[in-house]
Amino acid sequence: MDTDALDPVIHAPARLRIVATLAALPDTDTLSFTRLQNMLDLTPGNLITHLRKLEDAGYLTSETTGNGRASRTSIALSRQGRAALDSYADTLRDLLGGLRTTNTPRSRGHT
Amino acid sequence: MQGTHDIDEPTTADNGDGLDPREAARLLAQTERDAKRQFNISPSWFTAFGGVVIVVGYGALWLSTRGQHPYSGPSAGAIVLVYAAVVVSIGVSAKLYQRATVGVSGPSVRQQRAEGVAILVSFVLGSPIIQGAMKNAGANHAIVYGLIPAAAPLIIVGTTVLGIAASKADWPQFGAALTVITGGVVAAFVGPSAAWLAAGIGLGIGVAVYAAATAKHHRRS
Repeated sequence: MDTDALDPVIHAPARLRIVATLAALPDTDTLSFTRLQNMLDLTPGNLITHLRKLEDAGYLTSETTGNGRASRTSIALSRQGRAALDSYADTLRDLLGGLRTTNTPRSRGHT
Repeated sequence: MQGTHDIDEPTTADNGDGLDPREAARLLAQTERDAKRQFNISPSWFTAFGGVVIVVGYGALWLSTRGQHPYSGPSAGAIVLVYAAVVVSIGVSAKLYQRATVGVSGPSVRQQRAEGVAILVSFVLGSPIIQGAMKNAGANHAIVYGLIPAAAPLIIVGTTVLGIAASKADWPQFGAALTVITGGVVAAFVGPSAAWLAAGIGLGIGVAVYAAATAKHHRRS
């Protein structure tokens, strides 16, 4: 199956999981680095690398407050990132020939 | 990500080479399910737990007052059971909320906190104030310790939740709140002992409606 049509920034297991996790939050909410790391079970270094790549593409925003051990980094999916994920999911569906995936929701919200 | 966390090992930047679209679709769906589950402040098992608490609590209140002539109110044992159930439910609910929202910040979290405070205030203050006013005005035992405590919390808290649900266009919650209010209205007119039974049935149906509608919504998404 040709995967060229899939956004290469998202089409990597770790980044796909990062974007999908952040997309489960409402538009304006942010998630701490620590919680995201715990949810995805990634090492800090690995997570930082993928977050940088997504941030460089404009798919997420991050903000660090405080200094030293008290610092807190908050991450949010940008509007562009949300649109990119929707587009990625649509492309996946097209690639899979209209086959219904087990569960590929298009609407996301904080339940 | 400005170096605020230690990079404790060599980093890897995997790419999608070799990631099959089917596998990607499965990973996407699985991640979304996991994330929604972890961000969910009211999991289905808690709704079921709430249903059991309602059946046991209101059942005990009804059984302890059934056949009383004149009405003297629920037994001390039934009241202790209900208060214990309420305290445990609030404690579990607070713990679930804390676990689901740790690390999350933003307007939706502040809104949920405000909603929680509104519901708690309407629950804690609503019925006791009316009971106190009724007692002060000389209302009889059946009204002060039967009809009001059975019916008022459902109507007052139900109306609060109805407003919250309407503002969020949360129709499962709206339907459940309307059912609970109806249970409260019925409870207000069926006599002091049967009021507990009517309230329990109204609440039980409300919880069941909410659980069914939520499950249906999750299956669709």
